[in-house]
Amino acid sequence: MSGAQRLTPDATPDPVAPPSPLPLWLRLAWRDLRTGLPSFSVFIGCIALGVMVITGVGALSDALRAGLAKQGRSLLGGDLTFARVHARATEAERARLSSIGALSETATLRTMARTPDGSEQALAELKAIDAAYPLVGAVALDGAPDLATAVMGGDTAAVEPLLLERLGLKVGDQLTIGEAKLTVTAKLTSEPDGIGDRSSFGPRVLVSAATLEKTKLIQPGTLVRWRYAVTVPDAEGSPEALKRAREAFKRDQPESGFTFANRTDPSPQLTRTIERLRQFLTLIGLTSLIVGGVGVANAVSTFIDKRRKVIATMKSLGAPNGLIFRVFLAQILAVTALGILIGLILGYLVPIAAVAAFGAQLPIEPAFSVQPLSVANAVLYGLLVALVFTLWPLGRAERVSPSVLFRDDVSGDATRPAWRIISASVAAGLALVAFTVLSSDAPLVALSFCAAMAVIFAVFAVAGRMVPRLAGRIPRPRVPELALALGGIAAPGGLASSVLLSLGMGLSLLVGVALVDSSLQNELTGRLPEAAPSYFILDVGKSDLAPLSALVEKEAPGSRVDTAPMLRGRLVSLKGVPVERIKTAPEAAWVLTGDRGLSFSAAVPTGSTVVAGDWWPKDYAGEPLVSFEAELAKKLGLSLGDSVTVNVLGRDLTAKISSLREVKWDSLALNFVMVYSPNALQSAPYKLLATIMLPKDTPPAAEVALSKAMGRALPAITPVRVKDAIEQFNVILGKVLTAVRVAGGVTLAAGALVLAGALATAQRRRILDAVILKALGVTRRRILVAHVLEYGLLALVAAVFALGLGSLAAYLVVHYVMSVPFAFSGAAVAQALGVAMALVAAFGGIGTASVLRAPAVPYLKSE
Amino acid sequence: MAALASLENVSLTLTSRAGPVSILRDVSLDVGTGQSLAIVGPSGSGKTSLLMILAGLERATSGRVKVDGHDYAGLDEDARALVRQQSIGIVFQAFHLIPSMTALENVALPMEFASVADPAGRARQLLGDVGLAERTSHYPAELSGGEQQRVALARAVACSPKLLLADEPTGNLDGVTGKAIIDMLFGLQRRTHATLVLVTHDEKLAALCDRTIHMADGRIVADRLRVAA
Repeated sequence: MSGAQRLTPDATPDPVAPPSPLPLWLRLAWRDLRTGLPSFSVFIGCIALGVMVITGVGALSDALRAGLAKQGRSLLGGDLTFARVHARATEAERARLSSIGALSETATLRTMARTPDGSEQALAELKAIDAAYPLVGAVALDGAPDLATAVMGGDTAAVEPLLLERLGLKVGDQLTIGEAKLTVTAKLTSEPDGIGDRSSFGPRVLVSAATLEKTKLIQPGTLVRWRYAVTVPDAEGSPEALKRAREAFKRDQPESGFTFANRTDPSPQLTRTIERLRQFLTLIGLTSLIVGGVGVANAVSTFIDKRRKVIATMKSLGAPNGLIFRVFLAQILAVTALGILIGLILGYLVPIAAVAAFGAQLPIEPAFSVQPLSVANAVLYGLLVALVFTLWPLGRAERVSPSVLFRDDVSGDATRPAWRIISASVAAGLALVAFTVLSSDAPLVALSFCAAMAVIFAVFAVAGRMVPRLAGRIPRPRVPELALALGGIAAPGGLASSVLLSLGMGLSLLVGVALVDSSLQNELTGRLPEAAPSYFILDVGKSDLAPLSALVEKEAPGSRVDTAPMLRGRLVSLKGVPVERIKTAPEAAWVLTGDRGLSFSAAVPTGSTVVAGDWWPKDYAGEPLVSFEAELAKKLGLSLGDSVTVNVLGRDLTAKISSLREVKWDSLALNFVMVYSPNALQSAPYKLLATIMLPKDTPPAAEVALSKAMGRALPAITPVRVKDAIEQFNVILGKVLTAVRVAGGVTLAAGALVLAGALATAQRRRILDAVILKALGVTRRRILVAHVLEYGLLALVAAVFALGLGSLAAYLVVHYVMSVPFAFSGAAVAQALGVAMALVAAFGGIGTASVLRAPAVPYLKSE
Repeated sequence: MAALASLENVSLTLTSRAGPVSILRDVSLDVGTGQSLAIVGPSGSGKTSLLMILAGLERATSGRVKVDGHDYAGLDEDARALVRQQSIGIVFQAFHLIPSMTALENVALPMEFASVADPAGRARQLLGDVGLAERTSHYPAELSGGEQQRVALARAVACSPKLLLADEPTGNLDGVTGKAIIDMLFGLQRRTHATLVLVTHDEKLAALCDRTIHMADGRIVADRLRVAA
């Protein structure tokens, strides 16, 4: 036969060969994998853990959103709701609403509930209902047979148990709200539309509309939210029909200024919160996947090293490079698929576990569902991370020299893969970044996250290379154990790189979260500005101001009372464009939804500086002008001269932007995004928002006395203690940070898994080293000390780098994103060091124990 | 006799951490079709390297290598792999069976690479020929050294190579097993009319070949034809 003629890479198969069900590379991959699967346990674990977090976060948010949608009608208390602050619906509006379907009206406001003798008082959220309430679902009461008996009887209220506890009351006792004395007829255990109809300020008191009248709390300008729930017949209840009904109402009542919700998304705010939390925790999950990627890369490198002779044998039998690459890529993809599958299964257990653990605290009942998009999201992340971390070591497979079959390394294999593999690696990395950025609502945040990950990864990778070199250059210490430890770190194949890469990222995240937390705590509690008020007082009538000031002066002499007029209004359009059509960055979108506080002032408010335009002159009487907060104006694309329309009290008010202000929000002084020229709003019914700044060192008892005195003398006002509000915020912040810590903990677990894999790979060499030392007469105690020193030094280096990077990341976040001063925390340092030492000690300890137990003879003979 | 393989002024220098190491120095050799050639010499004399250069597993630093009409100088790694696939069978001292594959799969593998019809059936037949019909589904770790080398032999001749290369095929075996393997190797060579190049330390084994070359310090120092008995 003439070999030269047959030498074509695309040689067609022998025509008599029976068709094979699988291509050769797949058959070979399967043969190799069926016996080698256990060696991929760390690989599978790393992928599964990261995918589990991403899937779990997605599954939980899907379950909450599905729960929202499923229970939407009862959560909303109807098919559609229309709500606005201050102004009750006019007769015409009511008639139009009634024409859509059955109608129920509720009014909600914050107020103080007090014991009749005024000895105890607490913030409460009062809700007045009509006879039609609830249109959907049922109110659960304890102590009364039904809602009508409990609430509609006159001067009665159903009260949330938490408020009864705070006031020391029970069913049958009396409490005072505004000017009305009410009898508690029942404990309110749940209301169907609680989510859609509350702002989570204080526990609920349910009364009838008639009782609300008696409290005399409803005055012109009072911050009361009127809400109208409507149910429609089933046939007219499709989402499209609801949308049409809403649009028709808007056409008929263009200036009504209502905010709308429908049963398909009963709480857009909650939906947004869930979505943001999902995206944020997905990024944390991606961190654990990337940390796991180190383990994946290590596992593939070890796998390829072990297969060098197999690869060389295949080459000696005529296998081309491309075939070898495909054989090993197929195996890696199969193992990745297994890891992803395990991660998906475990991820879908997360919502079940979360409900079992925190079911009572969840705002809604989750409805479990498998959303193809969430599954695809987790699968794609798992696959891309696997490709990013495996293509490079896989590319080395085809570079294995066949000469390894007959000769130990002289020149060694090429360490760098072929350019096409390097290009594929880079493409996979870019695809991962692109997917992360494009699937986020905040692309800049996602991009910053990717950049931070890349920097942290690069720093630990470089440190992993530099530390052994540095250890090798240190003059040999006289203490033999320390010399052994440094030698171990400096030796080729030492653990420095693995320890730093595996623990570094998780520790950095831990330090970063701890320092962001400490900075926020410091800002919120320890570093309240000197000039921060002690109280915010809502709903201060103009006639209340003089008695309030007098009372404050009497109870806490030297206090300062500041006031600003406040109304609530909803932005309708900017520069003539309806806000529904405006797309803006998420950090500015909140301004466009819901009600905003509006004020007017003749002078520039304290705590703000005009940075563009001019403040209006005293006694200005021209077209309405508004001063807008500069940063938000920039994000919304607003500049001087643009028009802004808000709906206040059911009336559209258009004003021209005449100045932009820089506002120091953290001074906690009275300030608003939009401040109007007095002529624009002063004729509208409004109330004042007041702050009370107590003299320094006012004893807590005096604060309590002032609070009670205000409650007794001015029952219509609502004092909110700043410290209480901050505490409430702290509780929410604490919950978010706990979720971040749990997700970050998984990153550390991934790091621990990577470390365990790296230690297992190094174990045989370490046993051999120990065996030779034993043969030379070194005691086990000395070997143990050397190991402790080596691991301790590596953990210390990892912790120091993590502290540096975590602190830098935290500084950037608190300084540039949160605009809060950075506060270092010794506890964070101790935590990072402690966790690093504990993890390395745990895994290193297990390894060292087996190193010390290993009998010398078999190892010496086999070598 | 036409040359199936030829080396012309071939040198091989490898780079080690300590500096360049000269393995082969200006070696020229023609191996005739159907000939059996033994390469003998002390350790480090370049025997195995010469064999691997013939196999295309090692690239000569200089000189010209031709096997079955293919000049290796113009071939990249994949093209040399195709030459091996179609024309060369190799038996290693350390067997080099793929541990994750059964005996049958190891033998079938080169036929699968070459898209030969019914590789499993032919592999079964070849294993029968070397006396391992009952061990087809055994993994290398479940076979003795002699059995592993018999599997390696079956694998080497699976694609009916024109050139059979054997690197110390009995080096890891006891005397009795080694003799059986040699009988099998020569039997297969005769049956397939392949050219055999054999590296060995064993002078008795070398004496079975048509021709023996002696190597020392990377050079051919003697080249003798067997005298017919």
